[in-house]
Amino acid sequence: MRDPDLKKANRLSLLLLVLGIVLALILMSLPLYRFNAAVYIKKSPNTFVGDEKYLAVKEEVETVAEGYRAQGFDVELDEDVLTRVNSKGETTSLITFTINESFSKNVFSFLGSGLPSETVLILILAMTALALGCALLGCRGEMDLPQRYLPRRSALLRSLACAALLVAVLAVPVFVLMNNYAFSRQISLYNAGLIEEGREAFFAKMDRLLFSGQMGEGIGSALAGLDVKHAPLIWMLIPALLVSLLAAIQLRFGAIRSTLLRGLLYLFVIIVCLVTLYPYYVMTITAFRSNAETLDMYFLHMFPTKWNWSNLTDIIHRGVPRYLLNSLLVAGGATVVAMLCGVPAAYAMARMNFFGKKAFLGFVIMSQMFSPVVLLIGISQLMNTLHLNNSVLGLMLINAAFNQAFAVWLLRGTFVSISPEMEQAALIDGCGTIGALTRVLIPMAAPGIVTALIFVFINAWNEYTISTVLISTDANRPITVGITQFSSFNMIEWQYLFAASLVATIPVVILFMSIEKHLTAGLTSGGVKG
Amino acid sequence: MNSIQGKRKWEPYVWLLPSILLISIFVVFPILIVFKLSFSEITPGGVIGGFIGFRNFTDAVKLPAFKTVMMNTFWWVISVVGLSTLLGFIIAMVLNQQFRGRKIARSILVFPWATSLVIQASVWNYIIKYEYGNLNNVLLNLGIVGQAINWRTSYTVEFIWECGVGIFVTVPFVTFCVLSGLQSIDGSLYEAATVDGAGFWSKLWKITLPLVRPSLTVSTVLNIIYVFNSFPIVYTMTKGAPAHKTDTMITYLYMLSFYERKKGPATALSVIGFLILCLCAGIYMVTVMRKEEES
Repeated sequence: MRDPDLKKANRLSLLLLVLGIVLALILMSLPLYRFNAAVYIKKSPNTFVGDEKYLAVKEEVETVAEGYRAQGFDVELDEDVLTRVNSKGETTSLITFTINESFSKNVFSFLGSGLPSETVLILILAMTALALGCALLGCRGEMDLPQRYLPRRSALLRSLACAALLVAVLAVPVFVLMNNYAFSRQISLYNAGLIEEGREAFFAKMDRLLFSGQMGEGIGSALAGLDVKHAPLIWMLIPALLVSLLAAIQLRFGAIRSTLLRGLLYLFVIIVCLVTLYPYYVMTITAFRSNAETLDMYFLHMFPTKWNWSNLTDIIHRGVPRYLLNSLLVAGGATVVAMLCGVPAAYAMARMNFFGKKAFLGFVIMSQMFSPVVLLIGISQLMNTLHLNNSVLGLMLINAAFNQAFAVWLLRGTFVSISPEMEQAALIDGCGTIGALTRVLIPMAAPGIVTALIFVFINAWNEYTISTVLISTDANRPITVGITQFSSFNMIEWQYLFAASLVATIPVVILFMSIEKHLTAGLTSGGVKG
Repeated sequence: MNSIQGKRKWEPYVWLLPSILLISIFVVFPILIVFKLSFSEITPGGVIGGFIGFRNFTDAVKLPAFKTVMMNTFWWVISVVGLSTLLGFIIAMVLNQQFRGRKIARSILVFPWATSLVIQASVWNYIIKYEYGNLNNVLLNLGIVGQAINWRTSYTVEFIWECGVGIFVTVPFVTFCVLSGLQSIDGSLYEAATVDGAGFWSKLWKITLPLVRPSLTVSTVLNIIYVFNSFPIVYTMTKGAPAHKTDTMITYLYMLSFYERKKGPATALSVIGFLILCLCAGIYMVTVMRKEEES
């Protein structure tokens, strides 16, 4: 049961684990963050280079600079001359003396600063230490034991090491991004007065981190002139810790490849889901923001600062209920018409033999090929002749016709899959064909019928193009056209646009999710799309 | 095939009649109208005159934006269909694996399919705004970029964004098509291949691809048709501006007939579009019919 080869492999893994952690610690102690800060600024008006006042001020500033140097700061003196002619025609000048300090900080400098990223850093360090301890303890004396014979204690310790390292790896980007945010955005927002809350506390923490708290009152101006150079090297923490993580996985499971693939699978799925949900997130938060917030370039928050439920009540007065009602009528009517025409046709296709069956099938499939858009001109002409333009009824019929193909196709598939014996029995019992259809087949085919029903409904509900062309009065607009009034050329009211969109989207998404499973079955055979 | 023989020969046709009527009136009839109009003289006011041969067609080809619009349509269809097929296939392969949360992932993936295109296009339009768009907001807040990026520097970039949104909304359809194909593959095939020592790639090429090919063909052909016909994305995001540089054929013919009062060339373009669709429809029908015969 003991395996000398495994001992070698495990030793190597343990070594890699330790090496990864050591590498991470070395990286953390490198001077990764470089700063350039104006620690002292002296402005001297009505001075000219070389005159008495200039020399006096310069001397004064140099004394201050010396003072900084004596404290061990690496400072440099800059002067900036601004000359202009005032309203009386006199030349004046303003000389600005700046004492710049360049210094760098390593990751460990963040310990004790009190900044939010400090907590994350402590987490990373604690997790790394935990992982190291667990891995060492979990390997004691059992280096040559195959993973599946490990005693429970060792298995648990090694699992713990994996989990701890995973947390540490995931926390690294959080730490880096939090720092980036603090340095590149939060400072400028506080200085611009865009947020007041917590300013003092934040500046005090920055002071502690950057100047060991010696800047005191002057921290505001010092931060205003702060120039940060982020070292990309800090991202190397991830690969370093990842090496340790992989080594830990090898120690615990042996099979690193499959574990890794599993991890990648979840990562992929999570990314796909996040990307898919992103527009819906934007839609939701924007629907509840105030108009000012929707147009705010510096909008900071993941969520609205105040959830404006009034947006939902506001759109009631902008005709949205009317549009929703129209959509409901169009979609509901189209569904009824499509079903009334589609069920008999599907029934005939499934149960009867007749001349021209194939031709009808081709006819149906052909009709599915032409989305109404390419025929727009023909349709609007036809509707004019029938006096159906600008009417809900016209939209209803068009939607029913263009969804007919799918309805017939899916229903036919459902009917074929149901054995005709029950109907035959009903026929023998004296039911007519219609009775056999309505009393026997339709109840049995309910899932397929519901799927077709919902699908036609959603397609008609989401239809946009035909409605824009056919409907000319506001009162007859369906919701998809109605919401475009919120994004007119000169005035875009995003919050109302998305509030109405949200109301129009949620029900159909839920409906769609309910039929997704049935739909996939009939999909490739019929061919469906919204 | 099981069937209940109608006693009367004409009975099946009665059952089919409503469906045939509906399709004939609202689908076939407009096709005929468009064909007739494309050979008739139409004044800017919309008055329909007599037969003028192919003049509408030559007028359409001579339009200054014709070439750009045709190229745009080509790239639009190729990029959206091609990339969403590739992405959808990969996602379907992943979703076909057993893992925790698979049902949730599938439900989430349905979202873009179920949402109205005009709404999705509006949301993306907001996301990529330069001044206050959410993408810049998120990136700035995370500190990934130092200052707001202008996502729409030129019409080419805008057109690429439109294609991106097109891909975003098309991927779920491909995914679910391929997924239904994948789920019908017998698992024992893979087991046998594994026993024979086949690796991931040879299983993909020799088992998966041939067996999902029908689903893939159907989804690709349908996508070509639907993407070609897609109107709301381009119309909502740029309205074809500037000067039809981002228009596809469909939005262009809409603009021509309902804004620029050039109904004649617009109907000619409709017919051209119709013929292109016919070609795709023909391929599609042959595929479906052949599949029908197999089953």
